[in-house]
Amino acid sequence: MHGLYNFVRGPLAWVAFILFVGGTLYRLIAMLVIARKKDNVVFDYFSLFYGLRSIFHWIIPFANRNSRQRPIFTIVTFAFHICLLAAPILLLAHVLLWDESFGISWWTLPEGVADIMTLIVIGGCIYFLWRRLTQPEVKFVTFASDFVILAIVAAPFITGFLAYHQWLGYKFWLILHILAGEVMLVAIPFTRLAHMIYSPFTRAYMGSEFGSVRHARDW
Amino acid sequence: MAEGQVIDGIYFNEVWEDAGLDEGTKKLTPEKIEKVINKVLEGETGARLKVYVDTCVHCGLCSDACHYYLSHDKDPTYAPVAKVKQTMWEMIKKKGRVSPTFMKRASQIASTQCNVCMRCAMYCPFGIDIAYIMSVVRRICHFLGITPLYIQDTAHSHAVTMNQMWVKNDEWPDTLQWQEEDAQEEIPTLRIPLEKEGADIMYSVIGPEPKFLAQLLYQAAVIFETAGLNWTMPATPGWDNSDMAMYTCDNEIMGRVKRVHFETARRLRVKKIVMGECGHAFRSIYDRGNRWLAWKMHPVYVEHAIEFYYNLLKSGKIKIAKKYEESVTLHDPCNVMRGRGLYEMARYVVNEMCADFREMEPNREHNYCCCAGGGVINCGPPFKMTRMLGNRVKAEQIAATGAKVCISPCHNCHSGLEDIVSHYKLGVHVKFISDILYEVMEKPGAV
Amino acid sequence: MKRLRIGLLIGMTALAWVMVSSSIPAYSQEDITSLKDEAFGKGQRPPAVFVHEAHNEKAEIEDCNVCHHVYKNGEKVEDESSEDSRCSDCHNVKKGYPTRPLMKAYHDLCKSCHQTKKVGPITCGECHPRKAASSAHEAEEGH
Repeated sequence: MHGLYNFVRGPLAWVAFILFVGGTLYRLIAMLVIARKKDNVVFDYFSLFYGLRSIFHWIIPFANRNSRQRPIFTIVTFAFHICLLAAPILLLAHVLLWDESFGISWWTLPEGVADIMTLIVIGGCIYFLWRRLTQPEVKFVTFASDFVILAIVAAPFITGFLAYHQWLGYKFWLILHILAGEVMLVAIPFTRLAHMIYSPFTRAYMGSEFGSVRHARDW
Repeated sequence: MAEGQVIDGIYFNEVWEDAGLDEGTKKLTPEKIEKVINKVLEGETGARLKVYVDTCVHCGLCSDACHYYLSHDKDPTYAPVAKVKQTMWEMIKKKGRVSPTFMKRASQIASTQCNVCMRCAMYCPFGIDIAYIMSVVRRICHFLGITPLYIQDTAHSHAVTMNQMWVKNDEWPDTLQWQEEDAQEEIPTLRIPLEKEGADIMYSVIGPEPKFLAQLLYQAAVIFETAGLNWTMPATPGWDNSDMAMYTCDNEIMGRVKRVHFETARRLRVKKIVMGECGHAFRSIYDRGNRWLAWKMHPVYVEHAIEFYYNLLKSGKIKIAKKYEESVTLHDPCNVMRGRGLYEMARYVVNEMCADFREMEPNREHNYCCCAGGGVINCGPPFKMTRMLGNRVKAEQIAATGAKVCISPCHNCHSGLEDIVSHYKLGVHVKFISDILYEVMEKPGAV
Repeated sequence: MKRLRIGLLIGMTALAWVMVSSSIPAYSQEDITSLKDEAFGKGQRPPAVFVHEAHNEKAEIEDCNVCHHVYKNGEKVEDESSEDSRCSDCHNVKKGYPTRPLMKAYHDLCKSCHQTKKVGPITCGECHPRKAASSAHEAEEGH
């Protein structure tokens, strides 16, 4: 077990983080290069003020019409995304690993809170799965890859939850948890999870067009 | 009633006969399709399309933005994202290796089941511009020669005559003189100045005005005369600001038409172009055509009729004699509301003119599309039912106001709403702002 | 195996003894079944399970200063040990400098040795088991 654990926690973690950071940079740079080459207008119309104004209206729940029209979805998706980001980054056990490896540490969430946040993420995944399976407008545009992506996101949280509670097969779930987390990190730049990287740009561009050219609101 | 059908393995949610689509499709070969798709994707698209496609998480949140989707009882094939799925995703995934029938369906979706009104762009949390993606699909269909017949004919008219309606060069000044003479019976001093170099304003209209809406030219002349403005109209091609080539995504023709329009304004050395109550023409001058010609914004200041009337009323150049009594509601056209944010000005104008104004819900930039714009009404009679069935929500929205008159400061919306009003038997009159303004304004020069 | 069983017996006895008579303030090393350190206050996880005698017997640790070390000028002093003082006397809970913070000191000390010897727990849940230790934890608290 020492060997396997050390492998997933050591070299494999390095690989995952390098692919995550490298892949993210690659996608960003590739986007900018192709924009410069073939879509130069996006730079001409880009406006920091209107871009931020638009982002502002879409990262605050109920600050735009669509989110007010769908209160349940809005609550779920905001809770899901906040927990998805905050729980792993501010998790005590994760920060201890950063501290152990690099001597850096930061404020952490109480473990009970992180536990609930994990459940919120899992609940969010179940809600999204339910939408994909039952809502016609979502079902129609759902591909097998959408389920895979959902599974990639759910896996680290489910395994992390099981490992944290140590009910059965602690080390098995722990190693699976680390692997699942690494898969997710690598998947971010190379799947539609790339919306994490791209969405601020698409939002800001739409905000720029609406703000400085159209003089209209886009929320 | 439109029925869904599977043809050659492709699902068509509506089946209509259209010579442009049907005959055009027969001439397609898989090789030609593949070549054209890849030519457009590689040659004309870049970061935007790629990022839009890679970012979309298939969440379906754009659905409720679309009047087609809502009017068809939430039929998922009409959702904006579903339109992308049935067109662009497949083309990209198969690297252009799609069938002629697939392309026919793609053309039907992009040209007749999407008004490129951009409402969905406001409902996508990521701000993905689905109207842009549909425009790329139209561009591909244009190169493949499978654009619906009627709008293609209109684009041909632009290419040949620089106007939308095959109006001949002598017919245009002739119509203006006819309207001038008629108007002089009401206001003897009235002129429609032609080719007046150095005027402050060049007034431009769309092709259908001289063709069958000549009273609008009359009304505009009365407004200009009463406000005492130094204005002119060109006697040469370039008078028409409309642009169906923009909607067939025949960008080359769009560029030619806009160039002539801008150059005419420059030749007349005017300070600004004021245009009639048209939405798509505004989009083509303010947003699309200028970009194609490499102008970041319009090279000559462009003022839409709403802003023009607003300034006249605000400055007191036009005064209201007696407010319009009939209850009115206002339709917000996409191209000047989402496209230019004129919603508050429009409300000021309507409230100045009318005693009983009732808002539609939703309104302003969230207003439902008329289902006629984006070139859809220009696809002609074969697709009239697409518009009628595709915009029940608009009929319901108008009916809910209880107003007797629906003001629509856009030609496409105006025609589309008239069809909807009659199809759904709403008993509402559709009017332009100028129809009412002409009626209620003070006319000191009138005899 | 026999040694393990003896160890277990000792552990169990010790545990029972702690449960019964934890009012006695002083500990002898036989009593130690967990690394509960008052300096932490109430921690988020139960204190690490550590049966002192059994561990050292199994790990064949003879010298106290393997763990109860004394550092001077960053160097470990070979023939001195510190079992008469508390870990938290040198290792402050919060402040790292000049020594490691208390939790990190524990983690590093235990895990580095386990890693080198390729035996013994190195993951969170192995030292801080939720059920077993929490009952011990409660027992300690409940005196």
